Amino acid sequence: MQERLGKWLLSWPPLAYLVVFFLLPSLIMMFAAFRYPGDYGGLMPLTSEDPATGKLVLDITLDNWRDYLTLESFVRLVDEPLYIELFIKSLWYATLTTLICIAMGYPLAWLIARSPKKYRDLMLLLVILPFWSNFLIRIYAWMILLGPQSALSKAINLVVTAFGHEPVSLLFTPFAVIVCLVYVHLPFMVLPLYANLEKHDMALLDAAQDLGASAWQRFWKITWPLSLPGVYAGAALVFIPALGMFAVPDIIGGTEGIMIGNLIKQQFLETRDWPFGAVLSIMLTGGVLLMAGLAAAVGRGKQKAKQKHG
Amino acid sequence: MAKRQSWWLWAAAALAYVFLYLPLVIVVVYSFNDSKLNAEWVGFTLDWYHKLFNNREMLVAARNSMVIGVVSALAATFFGALAGIAMHRYKLRLLPFLVLTPIAIPEILMGVSLLIFFVLLNVTLGMTSIILAHVAFCIGFVAIVVRARMQGMDNSLVEAARDLGATPWQAFRLVTLPQIMPGILAGGLMAFTLSIDDFVITFFTAGVGSSTLPLQIYSMIKIAVTPEVNAISTLLMVLTLCLIVLVSKVSPGALRAE
Amino acid sequence: MKKLLLSMSLLASSMAFAADELHLYNWNNYLTEATAKRFEQSCKCKLVQDYYGDNEEMLAKLAAGAKGYDIVVPTGFAVQTLIGQKGAAPLDKAQLSNLKNINPGYMGGFFDKANTYSVPYAFTTTVLGYNETQLQKAGVLDKANSWALIFDPAVVSKIKGKVTVLDSQRELMAAALMYLGYPANETDPAKWKQAQQVILKAKPYWAAFNNQSYIKELTVGNAWVSLGYSNDLFQAQQDALKAKRPFKLNFSLQQEGNTLSMDNLVILKDAPRKDLAHKFINFMLDGKNAAELTNEVGAGNPNQAAMPNVKPEITKLSAIFPSKEALPKLQQLQDLNGKQRRELNKLWSEIKLK
Repeated sequence: MQERLGKWLLSWPPLAYLVVFFLLPSLIMMFAAFRYPGDYGGLMPLTSEDPATGKLVLDITLDNWRDYLTLESFVRLVDEPLYIELFIKSLWYATLTTLICIAMGYPLAWLIARSPKKYRDLMLLLVILPFWSNFLIRIYAWMILLGPQSALSKAINLVVTAFGHEPVSLLFTPFAVIVCLVYVHLPFMVLPLYANLEKHDMALLDAAQDLGASAWQRFWKITWPLSLPGVYAGAALVFIPALGMFAVPDIIGGTEGIMIGNLIKQQFLETRDWPFGAVLSIMLTGGVLLMAGLAAAVGRGKQKAKQKHG
Repeated sequence: MAKRQSWWLWAAAALAYVFLYLPLVIVVVYSFNDSKLNAEWVGFTLDWYHKLFNNREMLVAARNSMVIGVVSALAATFFGALAGIAMHRYKLRLLPFLVLTPIAIPEILMGVSLLIFFVLLNVTLGMTSIILAHVAFCIGFVAIVVRARMQGMDNSLVEAARDLGATPWQAFRLVTLPQIMPGILAGGLMAFTLSIDDFVITFFTAGVGSSTLPLQIYSMIKIAVTPEVNAISTLLMVLTLCLIVLVSKVSPGALRAE
Repeated sequence: MKKLLLSMSLLASSMAFAADELHLYNWNNYLTEATAKRFEQSCKCKLVQDYYGDNEEMLAKLAAGAKGYDIVVPTGFAVQTLIGQKGAAPLDKAQLSNLKNINPGYMGGFFDKANTYSVPYAFTTTVLGYNETQLQKAGVLDKANSWALIFDPAVVSKIKGKVTVLDSQRELMAAALMYLGYPANETDPAKWKQAQQVILKAKPYWAAFNNQSYIKELTVGNAWVSLGYSNDLFQAQQDALKAKRPFKLNFSLQQEGNTLSMDNLVILKDAPRKDLAHKFINFMLDGKNAAELTNEVGAGNPNQAAMPNVKPEITKLSAIFPSKEALPKLQQLQDLNGKQRRELNKLWSEIKLK
């Protein structure tokens, strides 16, 4: 009884909120994937104003729904390899971003979690503080750092020209896109990792050391497996937003910076093709959920296997 | 824990901090730069701060952003923490799906849907609609962090407390909550960060005269973003930092439950 | 839940309509502070501005049903869209006594032939801005008056990596079409394909598609040529002068033709305060008020009564105030239909991905 009350109290408030302010609104646009775009943007209306009474009348009926609903936007997606290509490119960018974020975020999160208690909150705060400045301004700062006049560019070009190559430009390259993607997402890796690493029991590591395990063994056999939930959470919070990113490639991507997010944004703005935008969004969201489901299933399978052996 | 960390760990972490702060230094330094362009150093000036203090629109937008950020972060942390705990404790189907989807769905689709939804319900667009929208996309971030904190955590403490006669509420407040506090803190920080920096969803859910800082700044893109924005960014960071330090000094338990 | 929503919306609405307020949905920095203040004094009301950075953003927001704005400032093709969406309110010309100030040459644009809904406000041309000093060194300065500067591989290869173009499907395609000798509003898919090929051949020599920071890149000297809007390039030129750069920036029309973007004042159909909106439009049609915008941001001005008040150094610039001979070569982009937009988007995605 109490168990059920607890479950109800815990899960209902967020569930209700998300159903009302996320699921219901999103269903409107999911449904839009099956509609036609309006002549002047938006969607082709399903209602019209009755000239006599001035009231809205529903035009769509059981007989004529084919005039209003269509699968054409889905067909376009399948017909055109271009969009799949773009999706794969974005997947690649997001994966690379996630891996770099793990490599950079893990030592940082570990160090914060192992620092004396009184400094931990401050160190954590320092990780996120830069992100309270404006996004655009931070990217502009990177444009200065990567620009042709910057120390970084000059140093790299010194090396490059010493080897007899043409000087390279860092700004407006895929390299710049990855740097900025890593930058804007790094705290979303560090914070979940920290939240997980903070609770690790140091006694375990001490015991392992006493038994003669090397630092590397201790990390790989104890810390890493225990921190996996944190890694997964961080990876999800970096990978998923990075996959749909459009602002970074827009600003700093040069002539090749386009990701699936840019294409989706274009459908809602310049192209005014909301149905196709909705279809692309469904593909992206569905793809992400599928990957998350697979990852969870694999995780459960591993756990089961472990339990069997154990 | 007094054990010394290996030097390379320190080096790697220091490098990460440098990476995080390199652009920030530029943001702050250029707020004192005597040039309209965010591009190269010319000379020192306080002009941008002067201009900023006379720019009512920008200040109002900054205030709006702060209010929206704090309220959304608090609400999202509350809902998100509940969701995280629930997802850890019980086998749920719909909630994990609903928590992850707002993160995965393209912002622009979510913005347009929310706008259509609010219009259908006749909700006047403004601060309220922005906050409602922000909470919706922040819940997931908090929930995922809180769950990651709880996974693999020892349940025996809660059971022990219950065995000793604590009510479920007491066990939750005195045992579970302190245990997951770092996760809640991390989630709340993320929610605040997401909220004050959001452009797309805010653009669609904002009403007349309820502009936020990102809305102001993005509309300047076409005409060049001036160092006034660096100035207000700098001020906001300092202000928020002071606020947090103050809160933690006045009530040390506010951020951390031991 | 519904009750809560209702009470919240009531609260919000009671706050929003407290006084006589005119809500202007405008581009940022497209109305000077001095003008806004004087209008507030003359109408004894409050002028509240919200901003957008792009026509399409504003259109999408209105298409989704956002309400409460009185006036928007759409570019020509977007006026066409607004009228098509039935979102614009007809103007009451009896209240616009200053309408006679507009140069008749700018009245009756293709998007609103009788100016039933729209009044021209200001315009820009889409042109090439360039670093004269560097182009001279590269030996291509004589090509600056032609689109060949950015499209002809033989020319653009000499300034490789120093060119930025607008990240706009319409503007870039229009430029490529005009380079090929077609009208900017050409919609024949075969000709679009040709234009796409032109862009693809030139793309390897460009540094970026850039809407955001080309002013900056030009002024600092990172970029030597930028396809951009005349008022932005004017700003870059002024900034470079002020910073005493060792090079000279300039911008000029291309001989094959350029696009002209006319921004207009339009009252929305569901505007809460049409009375104040008319007052505002009439106020802005006054020569003195209209001139202030041009003097501050370097936008072209269709108001002939404004001309005596515009700084002479601005009226001299041909890309801002085109001569009588150049005027016929300036074309305004028309709105595309849904099918054309899809086609264009596909071509554009290919350009970006290849």
